Amino acid sequence: MSGFLVTWLANVPQLAVPYALAALGLIISERAGVLNLTAEGLMLVGALASVGTLLTFEVHPLVAMVVGMIAAGLVSLVFAFLVITLRVNQVIAGLVMVFFCQGLTSLLGNLCGWTSKAFTGLAPLPLGPLADLPVLGPILFRQDLVAYLVIPIFLGVAYMLSRSRFGLRLRAVGENPEAADAMGIPISATRFLAVAGGGLLVGLAGAYIAIASVKIWVDDMTAGRGWIAIALVIFARWNPWRALIGALLFGGIQAVIPKLAAAGIMLPQYLVMTTPYLVTLAVMIWGSVRHLHRPSDEPGALGQPYVREERR
Amino acid sequence: MSDEVSTIVAPSAAGSGARRRFGQISIEVRRNASSGLRIAAVAIALLVGLGLSAVALVLAGVPADSLADEFIMATLFDPTNFKAVLFQASPLILVGLCAAMAFRVRFWNLGIEGQMIFGGIGATIVSLLKLGPDPARLYLMALAAMICGALWAFIPALLKLRLAVNEIISTLLLNYVAYYGLLHLLYGPWKDQDGFPHSPSFAPSELLPTLSSGMSVSLLIAVAAALLMAYVAGRSRAGIFMRFVSANPSVARALGVPVGGMVLSVVLASGALAALAGFTVVSGQEGRLTQSFFEGYGVSGVLIGFLARNNPIAAAIVAFLMSVLFVAGQNLQVFYSIPSSMVQLIQAVVVMCVAASDFLVVHRIHWIRGTP
Repeated sequence: MSGFLVTWLANVPQLAVPYALAALGLIISERAGVLNLTAEGLMLVGALASVGTLLTFEVHPLVAMVVGMIAAGLVSLVFAFLVITLRVNQVIAGLVMVFFCQGLTSLLGNLCGWTSKAFTGLAPLPLGPLADLPVLGPILFRQDLVAYLVIPIFLGVAYMLSRSRFGLRLRAVGENPEAADAMGIPISATRFLAVAGGGLLVGLAGAYIAIASVKIWVDDMTAGRGWIAIALVIFARWNPWRALIGALLFGGIQAVIPKLAAAGIMLPQYLVMTTPYLVTLAVMIWGSVRHLHRPSDEPGALGQPYVREERR
Repeated sequence: MSDEVSTIVAPSAAGSGARRRFGQISIEVRRNASSGLRIAAVAIALLVGLGLSAVALVLAGVPADSLADEFIMATLFDPTNFKAVLFQASPLILVGLCAAMAFRVRFWNLGIEGQMIFGGIGATIVSLLKLGPDPARLYLMALAAMICGALWAFIPALLKLRLAVNEIISTLLLNYVAYYGLLHLLYGPWKDQDGFPHSPSFAPSELLPTLSSGMSVSLLIAVAAALLMAYVAGRSRAGIFMRFVSANPSVARALGVPVGGMVLSVVLASGALAALAGFTVVSGQEGRLTQSFFEGYGVSGVLIGFLARNNPIAAAIVAFLMSVLFVAGQNLQVFYSIPSSMVQLIQAVVVMCVAASDFLVVHRIHWIRGTP
């Protein structure tokens, strides 16, 4: 039983990292008032760009992941231009971006021959004797570098959002753009930065799936994890730390499924694969019921374009 | 401005018309844009989108001089391909209607694929159980499909109305659940005797026939649905209620419009339309329940509803154009081995351009020389 627990928990961080990073990226964007449904697409861009870099230039996996991040950040600028500058409906723009990214990554993966080619990818960090500790070793000290980096990234972003001057302005833009504008905060520039910065993190989440976790590129390999990350943001009520806990929860559920099969518990294979989505739905329902009669924590201007000419 | 969040309405209504100057450029919000201007903007956007797509196609290896041939001549003027366009148009019209109707009550139905899957499953249940006499089988299959699709749409509708669960996410998540449910059936209890993961073929009486004129019955169903929806949305009492709900749910409620019931029934109808699309694909095209019969229709439906501004007749026209793109894409796949994802990319680029063109319709931009 303890063997089962250890192998299960040792797998959780790897599965939780993409959810955590993507949800954090979305929180930055949505705190600035931009409803961001692009995660599924940007994750694919991050994944394909990093796999392409790794296969073509044989660089260090971390370098490839940075390229994936930057690629997703650049693509998110297209989304930012559509919704911030041109004021396109944010739901439609987000969906179109996902559709665009699915088509683009599948096309490029095909044309460049990157599809279904396995590679070594990112290995766990050698942490010497710590890794050999019983129980704690496999769970805490045999992860890869990015899994450890998630902690400082969360600390940094949470500090930025709640304490820094820029974070204060960013949240003001998301809560009440009219007031923020009157205070002299540049609305469009702040939102562009938030969307692009969020895009970098979502891209890293995608790159992590491809380079550190699955170690291959296939079409649509994110398999809905972008949508789960969006649900996670709602569940976490736009709070980074609650998103991190949610990511660990989802990672834990995803990690337990193959372990159950390995433990000899026979379950219908395809029905088992619905669990991440059903659990996400259940978590959303639970979150909704708990907060049904309370004021929402949703940023006040979420989803609304800011049109200064219409200020009254 | 809350209109912006959950309906696809151009923000032209809410302008104060105040001016703002960015140095040399001044942007002004138009109160009312003329329809001529709208059409011109969409036409320009389509040209830009198709131009960008043409560049992508040439880069992917289609000779530039045969592009027009492939897209216009080969699809619209070749009888076989034109028939394929009409054939392909029917599910697209139905999913476009499905999205357009749901958007009319501010419900983002992104669960079209899941509802299509349940439509296919419902039809297949009737086929497998041989319910009813042979001549009535097709009707029963269509009915069962619509009931299953409506029931699948009932879940997110109820969650939204009762618990305020965001329907964008719930419908999308339910698509994955439906998909794995389908795989469970096709790899398990419904697996064909030939060992492949699809259901046994339907009997001849369970296939949607083609009329002697070469017109498929699915197209008739789709056009009839479009006319019915146009009547419901434009002329009926329910249509007026839907307009109230779309404009402002709380005012509608204060005026005595049964908002919850209205939203629920429209979403159920929307699910039934998607399921009907699923039925026309399994029974009209595939002849059995397959693993991928629904693929690509979900987002296409949403995009059709958006481009048609939620108007049922416009949705039918946009769906027809989308179908031209689909068939042209299939031809490119066969003759130039262009991956099918290219069609998806073109669709996305065209829609992005059209969505962006709205800015030019809703805003007036002036160039100002010197300081005003």
